[in-house]
Amino acid sequence: MSQLLQIENFTLGFPGRPPLLDSVSLHVNDGEAVALVGESGSGKSLTTRAALGLLPGGSESSGLVSVQGLDTLTASKQRLMELRRRHASMIFQDPRAGINPVRTVGDFLTETLVRLDGLSRAEATERAVAQLEQVGLRRAGGLMDQHPHQLSGGMLQRVMIAAALLNSPDLLLCDEPTTAQDVTTQAGIVKLLREEQQSRGMGMLFITHDLNLAASLCERVYVLRRGEVVEHGPTRTVFLTPEQDYTRQLVEATPVIETGAGSSVAAVPGLDPTPLLKVSGLSKTYQLPRGGTVTALEGADFSLPEGGSLGIVGESGSGKSTLARLVVALETPTSGELTLRDIPRPQRPLRASERKALAKEVQIVFQDPYLSLDPRIPVGNAVADVFRLHQKQGRKEAKESSRSLLGRVGIGPERFDALPRALSGGQRQRVALAKALAARPRLLVLDEATSALDVSVQAQVLELVEELRDQLGLTILFVTHDLAVVSRLCSEVVVMHQGRIVEQGPTARILEDPGDHYTRNLIASRPRPLWDAEPVTA
Amino acid sequence: MTATDHVQAPAPAAPTRKRARDRVRPVLFIAKKVLSLVATLFVASLAVFFSRFLVPGDPARFLLRGRSPKPEALEEITRQFGLDKPAWEQYLNWLGGILHGDWGRSLTYRQDVSDVLLGRLPTTLQLVALAAVFITVLGLFAGIVASLNKGFGDRFILITLTAAGAVPPFVAAIALVALFSVGLGWFPSFGSGDGGWDRIWHLTLPALALGITYIAMVARVTRSSMNEQLLREHVEVATSRGLTRGSVVARHVLRNAMGPILTVSGVLVAGLLVSSAIIERTFGLSGIGQLLVQSIDRLDFGVVQAIVMVVVAAFVLVNTVVDLVQPLIDPRIAAGTESR
Repeated sequence: MSQLLQIENFTLGFPGRPPLLDSVSLHVNDGEAVALVGESGSGKSLTTRAALGLLPGGSESSGLVSVQGLDTLTASKQRLMELRRRHASMIFQDPRAGINPVRTVGDFLTETLVRLDGLSRAEATERAVAQLEQVGLRRAGGLMDQHPHQLSGGMLQRVMIAAALLNSPDLLLCDEPTTAQDVTTQAGIVKLLREEQQSRGMGMLFITHDLNLAASLCERVYVLRRGEVVEHGPTRTVFLTPEQDYTRQLVEATPVIETGAGSSVAAVPGLDPTPLLKVSGLSKTYQLPRGGTVTALEGADFSLPEGGSLGIVGESGSGKSTLARLVVALETPTSGELTLRDIPRPQRPLRASERKALAKEVQIVFQDPYLSLDPRIPVGNAVADVFRLHQKQGRKEAKESSRSLLGRVGIGPERFDALPRALSGGQRQRVALAKALAARPRLLVLDEATSALDVSVQAQVLELVEELRDQLGLTILFVTHDLAVVSRLCSEVVVMHQGRIVEQGPTARILEDPGDHYTRNLIASRPRPLWDAEPVTA
Repeated sequence: MTATDHVQAPAPAAPTRKRARDRVRPVLFIAKKVLSLVATLFVASLAVFFSRFLVPGDPARFLLRGRSPKPEALEEITRQFGLDKPAWEQYLNWLGGILHGDWGRSLTYRQDVSDVLLGRLPTTLQLVALAAVFITVLGLFAGIVASLNKGFGDRFILITLTAAGAVPPFVAAIALVALFSVGLGWFPSFGSGDGGWDRIWHLTLPALALGITYIAMVARVTRSSMNEQLLREHVEVATSRGLTRGSVVARHVLRNAMGPILTVSGVLVAGLLVSSAIIERTFGLSGIGQLLVQSIDRLDFGVVQAIVMVVVAAFVLVNTVVDLVQPLIDPRIAAGTESR
């Protein structure tokens, strides 16, 4: 077996700064699928892009990066273009950003064929359509004239894959191709990639932060941390018997569906006669500007007892975020009832005073801590402001409270005056949590609060939420697409699909014995290691 | 082919319904734009006509300047030009006339306004057209070169543009004349020539002087719009597929940057009609800019109103065309999903 991609002692950095990549060595053989696993900022994307000679401007590099014997660090522009056209293709993370939005799908697919391979437009179209059909898109001919915004994310990623396969590359580089996708879409894409890689005998380098995903697709794995390869070997060995502490942490942090006795979720002792939150027949429809309506949520019924924890699971567009926003009164329901502590919610936007009273009871933490914190307010002040508003504390007292609360969520006093941009994603999400907790709410709504975080950071935040739930007796409403997170944190779960609740009940029961077809599909879509012989059923 | 199962095909009814909507949508879009064009022109005509009553001075009296205004003569002229009727009736007559191509009579030239205007309009239109060509070609070129050459090239062009943008047109005119007609003798400094190449030769310096500020603006918009696109991931994807640098820039960077460039150029070019007055005076061209200034001076309302209406119409028309072209450049605008 020859080495398709060979990277030896590859070091990359900007002059005057510590290197971004430090002596990275890895290789991919012909027909082999290799995973490159690491957290954000570990340098996995840089490594992969270097294989195509795409280096950031102004950077300095040393070592060897070679694809089929061509050193991409020193090769001429002409040779690099030749490599990109014929031998190596890349699939990017977000197809919506990666496919030119103002050109048609057909143009995207055929442009290399027409401009570089000298095919006529008709021939190129024919080949592109055939390729689209091969990656599982129906009515491919019709898709060619459509623009990217008319396609779903999953379809677009298939278009991206089709484009990468058009020139029958020997090496396929995948940069988190499913991170922006739903679980069920991810399952389809992963299956497709695996099939194509096997049948074409391509070499594949698959970048991901998700260990489960790496295990479901690749035979070998490299673990990258802060620009260094810390461990590598066969996937099974690395995951089941990791040698390095860091790998062990990663493996432990990776959420798995826990059921039965292993679950840390305690059953709620005796059903509370008066639930904290009660929702019945709740619906929300939006009026479209050109007429017609969209039903985001239809007839939701559930109740959440004081001190309970409820997970709301579904894909994007299932209405789960609408539900969360209705609970915290960011939206007004179209019909149905929502009762919080026996106080019915009026069917109109709240007045300022009502909103303030509600905010003392219910707080929400959003998905993206990069967007949800004001970039100009130091985090200590941000939390102190909540204390002043809701607890009527004085300036000094509020600062004290803020300091101790931030300490409790793991933000040290030295960070008190830091602006959000000086903090990492995990730290920011802790600050967002502290901001929500400062109001001393009874109900905490977490809207995909850990989805934007790395696995190890996600694990820390989840642990924190768990701890706070037990200590403060918080009631938790956790909105997520990740069943594993729910299994860890929530005793009850509601599964949503296309605006409806399709199933609800105790988490353990639903995960072990899902009653609904969609729930089964959702559970089956979670990536499974290759060594788990159990076939994926769609 | 098992993977097919995962892709949800839209319900069979969806495509036909959608296609019907797609056919209706552009028509509706164009109809709306044209309607708002007409509405804008109507409101503009109101403003143009009635603003005359805010200006002090009686046009009839002006005509008799230098002579002792005999009451009968004054009355005669007032009646002749319809100035004795109520304002709204004057407006309706004026508007009705315009719709028939009759813009009224000029008080100073004793000619139909349309004749006065038609004698001057071609020169100005040619001047503006040539300036527009310079603005788009030079502006785009400077902007593209600046955005593709980071570092010294970018900074040099940027500084030059800032300087050029700060030069008032009449200073630019004098400088250009000093250099190219007096110094080098390449271009004439006066008059508008005899049509054809001679006309273009005569109008080159005026058009450059007129356009220099706008060249700077278009170049800046081009530069920043391209810089924004250069960072987009789809550009990296295009590069990763082995396209040449030229293809990537033309098909994915410049193409996507076109929207803002077109919007700004449209507004600028339409505005040229007004700002041409100074240049026309400096180079001794008899265009509508100069006519406008003279007519305001002489209280020749018919001519002023006609010129202002022409300028407004040109402005609104160019912007409507730009709006109509936008969806062709970015299909997301037509779908109403654009979120830039």
